Amino acid sequence: MSATLTAPPIQELAPNIVIRVKDGALNIGKYALLVVGIALLGACFIASMGGDPAHKTRIAFSYLTAYMGTLGICLCALFFVMVQHITRAGWSVGVRRFAENLAGALPLMALLFIPIYLSIDQLYEHWTHPHEGDEVLLGKHGWLNKGAFSVRAVLYFTIWLSLTFIFRRWSLKQDDSGDPALSLRMSRVAAPGILLFALSITFASFDWIMSLDPHWFSTIFGVCYFSGSYMAFFAFTILLTKWITGKGYMRESINTEHYHDLGKLLFTFMVFWTYTNFSQYMLISYANLPEETSFFAKRLDGGWGAVGTMLIFGHFLFPFAFLMSRHIKRNGYALGFGAVFLLVLHWIDMQFLIMPNAMAAHGADAGGADGAAAVSGQFGAQLSTWLHGMQWTDAACYLGMLCLVGSVTLINMCRHNLIPTRDPRLSEALNFQNL
Amino acid sequence: MTSITIIDEPENPLRRAPLVEGKNNFASVTNIVARVAENRTPKGWYLMFGIAIALLLNLGAMIGYLIFTGVGVWGNNIPVGWGWPIVNFVFWIGIGHAGTLISAVLFLFRQKWRTSINRASEAMTIFAVMAAGIFPAIHVGRIWVIYWVFPIPNQMLLWPNFKSPLLWDVFAVSTYFTVSTLFWFVGLIPDLATFRDRAARAGRTIAARAYGIFAFGWHGSNRHWVNYEKAYLILAALSTPLVLSVHSIVSFDFAVSLVPGWHTTIFPPYFVAGAIFSGFGMVLTLMIPARKWLGLHELVTLNHLDNIAKILLLTGSMVGYAYGLEFFIAWYSGNEYEQFCFINRAFGPYGWAYWIMVSCNVISPQFFWFRSIRRNPTLLFIISIFVNIGMWFERFVIVVTSLARDFLPSSWGYFSPTIIDVLTYIGSFGLFFTFFLLFCRFLPILAISELKGVMPEANPHHGHDQGHGQDHASGHNKAH
Repeated sequence: MSATLTAPPIQELAPNIVIRVKDGALNIGKYALLVVGIALLGACFIASMGGDPAHKTRIAFSYLTAYMGTLGICLCALFFVMVQHITRAGWSVGVRRFAENLAGALPLMALLFIPIYLSIDQLYEHWTHPHEGDEVLLGKHGWLNKGAFSVRAVLYFTIWLSLTFIFRRWSLKQDDSGDPALSLRMSRVAAPGILLFALSITFASFDWIMSLDPHWFSTIFGVCYFSGSYMAFFAFTILLTKWITGKGYMRESINTEHYHDLGKLLFTFMVFWTYTNFSQYMLISYANLPEETSFFAKRLDGGWGAVGTMLIFGHFLFPFAFLMSRHIKRNGYALGFGAVFLLVLHWIDMQFLIMPNAMAAHGADAGGADGAAAVSGQFGAQLSTWLHGMQWTDAACYLGMLCLVGSVTLINMCRHNLIPTRDPRLSEALNFQNL
Repeated sequence: MTSITIIDEPENPLRRAPLVEGKNNFASVTNIVARVAENRTPKGWYLMFGIAIALLLNLGAMIGYLIFTGVGVWGNNIPVGWGWPIVNFVFWIGIGHAGTLISAVLFLFRQKWRTSINRASEAMTIFAVMAAGIFPAIHVGRIWVIYWVFPIPNQMLLWPNFKSPLLWDVFAVSTYFTVSTLFWFVGLIPDLATFRDRAARAGRTIAARAYGIFAFGWHGSNRHWVNYEKAYLILAALSTPLVLSVHSIVSFDFAVSLVPGWHTTIFPPYFVAGAIFSGFGMVLTLMIPARKWLGLHELVTLNHLDNIAKILLLTGSMVGYAYGLEFFIAWYSGNEYEQFCFINRAFGPYGWAYWIMVSCNVISPQFFWFRSIRRNPTLLFIISIFVNIGMWFERFVIVVTSLARDFLPSSWGYFSPTIIDVLTYIGSFGLFFTFFLLFCRFLPILAISELKGVMPEANPHHGHDQGHGQDHASGHNKAH
């Protein structure tokens, strides 16, 4: 038996639905975010001009932290789109278009990678300028050299940009034709797409974060990066869609029921982040092998001990209790607060992964014993060390980059339909109820 | 509307494929499931049950021999102090993961197709965990003091080592067993009441009494259902972290150590993916014959098998990801012990086992990229057997290869199992199948009430106003 049908036009499903943004209606958001984003990143750029090289390197680290935090959000938007196709999800059709638009910021992220590439000598100093006679680094020179690093970066972006392009294009094409075969085709491409995504995000996190400390290694690192990023994607999505639905758009396709589900997924991947990070920490701490514990030893010192403690409370215990309740997830302000909170914690998580390398770049590696002494000191003292080590550029880069991505997402949204109007499962999304 | 494309019906995005096929209604679904337990026992069942009981007796004999003689009857010896018993333990625990994943995780994800396979998978889970639990218990040597694994206050002030993942296992596995059994039993209650009522109507008093005891006086009132659904949801939420925790903790048994090939941070999620992979493999191995012999093909449809095959492809690829990463990081780490360990795994004396593992776990599920294979029960069955074999070998490779060649080359050895090892392992299948066959014979092997819940008749909008809800597209046959 075969079907020769097309999806019904949206007017039949929901006669009064608004599918296009009225001219200029979201301009405030679009341009405000764009201006703030450019201003903040521009200020960081100006700050990095001149001055001593150490200062420049420090700002490069601010930038890398912000970049990895934001990149994960855009990448996981692409992942979300593929997962919705492969699981034939019905509830999320409206959210999916938003995620397509957010993934549409990946070309911008490719552009924003250029400063990192230009700072490669400062950021990845340990392997770009290895010490004489460092046998370990010599052994992995075939992987960690500028040429291979660049080839891989090009490869990752090729994968991400082509997948984004394909899914956006076909999804928009379906708006015109209503052809259900496109849904089928997208679910077929999503399967190898997810495979490529898993490999590319893993090795990208190895290249861009793990290799900051090229002696250290952890097989779960890619999964850790992914889990935090996916959580941040949900937080970002909840925030931006809250603003748009507040403006009166997409209210049928993203309402309380959908926010409830997004809240559940935010909660889920917050817990999954904890699971992966606990696995990494516990196993390394238990086995106590010096080549692995160096990672955490470095993070006991320089105030990072307080950050680690904060992550346990802020990235797990508090949001676990807070987001557990159904009422919280169905309340716009409460869920919005949770999303903002976790976006901030996501940035602190990225700091925890990246920043200690910036400080180690100046002096000798932190000794494990000294670190332990420091952490057994006071949380307050550690916290103040960390806060003193922070710079305005840390926050400015992250905020600026989030603003730019938000602005590009809004620009993408205004150019096309807000929802996949002829998606075969759209009526499920419009009638979705969270029992 | 210009585009007209021909799509094979089960894949048509405009419609959700029916989860119950054929001309079935509520009554016929009850009949199909109840008939399995009510009909005369087929001769084939006696044959299989006889074999299973024989194997179970063999397990008893082996355990008796072991207890009277000592663990020296096994091939375990230095350097391989953990041999088959731990391999078998992890193998069975892994199989015990599909049930709870299907019943809890897929429930929370609203995957309604789970309803036709959850009951049997949960039963399988419970029996597999029972089979698993035997191995570490008999491995302790002095099984008569096995209760020492529990932190029971005692006058000798003897406490288990709380820092040992082996003790965490005790808690993890017993919690998992308890919650899985509860979950399974709660789901069974409405169906047991159905069986009770049918038995009473047919005049089978003893059966009616027996089902009646376990049905807890269920009579399907509104209040019963409200409480039932709440309990089910809460148990699902409690079981979901268990799906991840149990095998994570099993992986800690290895990963907290310093042994190359055991100590790596990807182990917890990698073991969980492997467990789900092996569990779904066993679900296929059991459900494909069951649906054929018991006439369940309208309830356990090709679409169900197709979905299971996709999960096998996913989890098999995740396992492949972990194999690959272990190799990559062993090289990247620059640690020569790690590097040796993995080269030795693939090309050393146990290379044969390694390549069996890779071909069964990573290569064989790749056939599921093809839809025609995913929908061919015979091929699915064959590949599911490969999955079972492959996952046993995975544990063998992990346990044995890392130990056989440790840091001290003078103590290197080659592990060979004894006949007792082999017979004990085969015996554990006897335990598993004895219980599973009893389950098939006397209990509702599919969740009757849940199956009805996913039929179109259960939709409040059924029969009018087709523009809403699940079967939205059926009202839009308007291609021009």
